[in-house]
Amino acid sequence: MKRSRSGESPWTYILLAVILVPFLFPLFWMFLSSLKSQVENTAFPPVWIFKPTLNNYREVFIRNPFFTFTWNSLVVAAGSTGLALVLGLPGAYAIARFKRTGIALAILTARMAPGIGYLIPWFILFTKMRMIDTYLALILTHLIVALPLVLWVMIGFFEDVPGELIEAARIDGCSNFAAFLRVALPLVKPGIVATAILSFIFSWNNFLFSLIIAGFKTRTLPIAVYNFLSYEEINWGGLTAAATVITLPVLILSLFIQKHIVRGLTFGALKG
Amino acid sequence: MGNEIRAQKIPAWVTPPRRGSAWSLFVEDHPVLVFTLPAVVVVFILMVFPVFYTVYMSLHSWFASSLTGPEFIGLQNFKRAFTQDERFRNAIWLTLYFTVLATALQLVLGVSLALLLNRPFRGKGFFRSIFLLPMVATPVAIALVWMMMYNPTLGVMNYLVGLVGLGPYTWVSDVHLVIPALAVVDTWEWTPLITLITLAGLATLPLEPYESALIDGATPAQMFWRITLPLLRPTIMVALLFRSIDCLKTFDIIYVMTAGGPGFASETLNVYTFQVGLFYFHIGYACSLLVILFALVLGVSLILIKVRRGSW
Amino acid sequence: MRILRTLLSLGLVFGLALASSAQAAQFNWQQFKGTQLRVLLNKHPWQAGIEPHLKDFEALTGIKLIAEVYPEDQFRAKTLVELTSGASSIDVFMTMPAQEGLKYMRAGWYQPVDEFLKDSSLTAPDYNWNDFLDKTRDAMVAEGKLIGPPIQVENVALMYRKDVFQKYNVKVPTTLDELEAAAKALNGKPMTDDGQPGFGIVNRGKRAAATSMFAGMLHAMGGTWLTPNREPAINSEEAIKAIDMWGRLLRLYGPPGSENNHWYEASSIFSQGKAAMYTDANSLWPVIEDPQKSKVVGKVGYALFPRGPKGQSGSTVAVWGLGMPKTSKNQKAAWLFMQWATNKDQVFKVQSEKGVLGCRDSVWKDPKGKAKVPGDLAESLAQGSKVGTPLWNPPVVAVAEVRDAVGAAIVTSIQGGDVRAAANKAAADMKRIMAETEKK
Repeated sequence: MKRSRSGESPWTYILLAVILVPFLFPLFWMFLSSLKSQVENTAFPPVWIFKPTLNNYREVFIRNPFFTFTWNSLVVAAGSTGLALVLGLPGAYAIARFKRTGIALAILTARMAPGIGYLIPWFILFTKMRMIDTYLALILTHLIVALPLVLWVMIGFFEDVPGELIEAARIDGCSNFAAFLRVALPLVKPGIVATAILSFIFSWNNFLFSLIIAGFKTRTLPIAVYNFLSYEEINWGGLTAAATVITLPVLILSLFIQKHIVRGLTFGALKG
Repeated sequence: MGNEIRAQKIPAWVTPPRRGSAWSLFVEDHPVLVFTLPAVVVVFILMVFPVFYTVYMSLHSWFASSLTGPEFIGLQNFKRAFTQDERFRNAIWLTLYFTVLATALQLVLGVSLALLLNRPFRGKGFFRSIFLLPMVATPVAIALVWMMMYNPTLGVMNYLVGLVGLGPYTWVSDVHLVIPALAVVDTWEWTPLITLITLAGLATLPLEPYESALIDGATPAQMFWRITLPLLRPTIMVALLFRSIDCLKTFDIIYVMTAGGPGFASETLNVYTFQVGLFYFHIGYACSLLVILFALVLGVSLILIKVRRGSW
Repeated sequence: MRILRTLLSLGLVFGLALASSAQAAQFNWQQFKGTQLRVLLNKHPWQAGIEPHLKDFEALTGIKLIAEVYPEDQFRAKTLVELTSGASSIDVFMTMPAQEGLKYMRAGWYQPVDEFLKDSSLTAPDYNWNDFLDKTRDAMVAEGKLIGPPIQVENVALMYRKDVFQKYNVKVPTTLDELEAAAKALNGKPMTDDGQPGFGIVNRGKRAAATSMFAGMLHAMGGTWLTPNREPAINSEEAIKAIDMWGRLLRLYGPPGSENNHWYEASSIFSQGKAAMYTDANSLWPVIEDPQKSKVVGKVGYALFPRGPKGQSGSTVAVWGLGMPKTSKNQKAAWLFMQWATNKDQVFKVQSEKGVLGCRDSVWKDPKGKAKVPGDLAESLAQGSKVGTPLWNPPVVAVAEVRDAVGAAIVTSIQGGDVRAAANKAAADMKRIMAETEKK
C-alpha cells in the first residue's frame, strides 16, 4: 500500500490535529482539574482560565503515604515482570522454535477467565499459606496477567530469529540452553524491553487483584486513588491530582515502546 | 516458515557430543518440556485451584456462612439463571449490547482513522506515542475522570455538547444513554489500538492487486471494498477478537462509574456476578454465573477464531 | 500559640492520668501487653476522629494496633472475602448491625461480647454501659446477642438553607405536604452566591443507596418493610405513596440524573449551594460545614424529618458500632480496644474535636461535649434518636439484596414509571429472597 507517496499536504496535519484532540481531551482535563481549587472545579460553565495551584498535589502527598503506595506498586510491578520474564522467556523460545502453539493457546485461556473468579479462591489459598499482605502473594496474582503476556508477545519475537543462527550455534557445540541464552536472547533484546515495560504497566494499573490480596502494608496506587472517593463529598481536585500522579509514570514509560505496543497489546497475535 | 521446517529436521550429526551432567543431558533430550514447564506449572497452579473451586461451587448452594457448608444441588443454579432470574437475562442482554456497540464503534472509527492516516507524514512516532496514551492510562483513574466529566450538573461534557446546541444530557444517569455513554469511554480508550493495528496491517499489503485494478479502471471505492477490506480481514479479526474478550469482561469502568445503575440499566454480567457474590453472599450462584460468563467469552472467541481462519 | 496548646494538652493528659489512676489501680489495662491487633476501619468521620488517638491506646495497654482504612465499598468487599474464607486475621472491625448484623450473626462470623462486658476483670468499672443511649444499645443486638459497643448514631433528617427559606418567605417543612410545597416553591429560585438558580430538593436516588433515606418517608407515610408476620409490605398503599413521593420530588424539583446520585453526589450538590433542601443522614453535617469545600457554611438548618399525614415520625436511628470476628485469636485484647475506643474519654474527644455524633448520654449533657455540633442539630438528634425507628433497613438477613429490589422501584418512580407495578415486583422479589435466605 505505497500508493500515496505524493508528499505531505497541510491537510494531513490539520486532520491529525482534529483526530488527536478528542483523544487527548480527557487527559488534558484531568491535568487541568488537578490545578484548580474545589470551587473552580465545581463551577459551571467550566473555568478555563484560572490561577493554577499545587495545593491538590500537596494534599495528595501530605495526607496520604503516597510514597509508600508508589514503592509498593513499584515492587509488585517490577517483581511480577521479572518473574514473568524468567519463567516466560524460555517457554516462549521453546514454543516458537518447536512450534508448540497448543501450549500457547492453553495459556491464553488464562486471559479469558473473568478476574473476579480468582478472588475468593486466591484469598483462601494465600491465607492458608500465610501469604496475605506479602509482596510475594501480590506478585504471584499479577503473574496471571504478566506470564501469558510475556509468552505471547515473545513467541512473535523469537519466531523472527533466523533458524540458521541457532543451527550454526548447535553445530558449534552449543547446548539447547546455551543457544537460547547466547544466541536467541541477545537478538530479541528490543522485544524483551518492550514486553517488560508493557507487563510493568499492566501490573501498575491492576485494581481488582490488589484490592483483595493486598493488605495494609502492600496497598498499591490504584487502591489509593480509589480512596479519594471518601466520606467527604467528591474531591475533584484531589482526585485528579492523584489520578495524574498515578498515570504519569505509565504514560512516560509507554513513550519508550510505542513501536512495539501494538504487538504487545494484541498479545503478539499480530506482528506490528 | 522456512526456519521452523528446518528446525524440526535437524540431522542427527548436528547434535553436539553428549557430555555433562545427567541434568544437562535431560535438557538436551526434552527441550520443550524443560523450557515451557516452569511457565506452564505456575499458570496452572494459579488457575487450577480457582477454576476447580468455581466449577465445584457452581454446583452448590452456599449462602456464605461458617456454620452451614455448601449444599450440593446439581445444575439447579444454571436452571435458575436461565429460567427464573430476570436480572441475569437483563445482564446477558446488556453484556452483549455493550460489547457489540463498543467493538462496532471502535472498529469503524479505528479502521476509518487508519485509512485516513495511511499517508506519509513527518512525526509518525510522535503521533503514535500520543495516540497510545488512552490505552495505557490507569483504568480506575480514567473512569473517575470520565465520571467527573459526565456529571449532569457540573460536568464539562454537557458544556461541550451545549456549544453545538445539544443537551443537556444526564449521561450515565439516563437509562437509555448509560450503555452508549460507557461504550464511549471504552471506545476512547481502545480505538487507538484498532487504528494502530490496522495501520500496521495496511503497511504489509501487497501492491500488485491495486496495480492491476488501476489498469482495469477501478474506482477508489471499488478498490477499498474489493481489495483493501478483504486483505485486511485477518488483521481486523484479530483486533475484534481481543476487543470482544475484553468488552465481555469489562469491570473497572462500569463498576467505578455506575455500579450497574441507574436501576439495573448498566448491570452487565460481570458486575451482576460481583454483586451476587460479594454483596449478596450467594457464593454458589455467583460461581455458576462465572462459569456462564467464561463459557460466553470462550464461545465468542471460538467463533471469531473460526471466522478469522475463513472456515465459516 | 502552639507551645501553649501543647502545654495545655500535656496538662490535660496529665490531669486525666491522675484522675483515672485510682480506677487504673483496680483495672489492669496492661494484661495483654505485647499483643498485636488488626483493626479494619471504614473511611468515616468517627475513624478520622479516633485515629489520632490510637497511640494513646498503645501507650496505655502495650498492645500494638494495625489500623487499616478503606472506603465503604472496598471495606465491605474486603471484610466479606476475609470472613467467607474462614481464615480472617481481623480482630476488630466497624459494623452496621442493621445492614449486616443478622447475616453475620447467623453465619457465625461475630463473636458476641456479652460475656466480656459482664467480666469485671475485662471491663473497667467506670465503663458504664448504661450511659449509652437506649436505642443505640438495642441497635447493637442481633438474635439476642450483643455484637459490640455503638460508636456513632445518626438520623435521616431535613437539612435546609435557612437563608433561602427566609429570603423567599417559605415555612420550614414539618410535614410531608409542607416538604413538597417548599420544594415546589423554591425550585428554580436563585440561591447560590452568584445568583444562579438551584433545585427545590436533592436526595439520593441510586438504587440500594437511596433506600436507607427513603426509610424516613416510608415510616412517615405510615408504612414499613414487613407485616408483623414477616410478609413484604413494600406494596401497601402507604408504601406506594412513599415510593411515589420520593420519586416525584426528585423528578419535578430535583437535579437531573438523580438516579445515579449516592450521598457523595447529593451532598456535593447541596454544599455547592445548588439545592434548598436535602434529606439525608445528619451525620453528614461536617461535610456541609467544611469552609474549604462548602459554600453554605453557617447557612444550613437541621430539623427532624417531616412528619406524615397522621403525624407519624419519619426519623430513623442508624448506628455504627464495633464488632469482633469469631476467628480473632486475641478476643480479650480486642475487647479491651472496643472498650477503650468507646469509653467516656474517647467519645468525648472524638465528639468535641470532630463533632462526631456519639452515643453517650453524659457527653451530650456536657456543654463542652456538644459545643462543636450545631445547636439545632444536637436538639433534633436527641429528639430523633428517641422517637425514631431503628428500621432504617429492612429487618431481613439478605439486606443488600432486598435493598436493591426496593431501590429498583425507587428508580422507576424517579423516572416516572408505573410505581404500583414496580412496588408489587419489589414485594415479590423480597418474598423470594427471604424464602431463599431465611429458610431454617
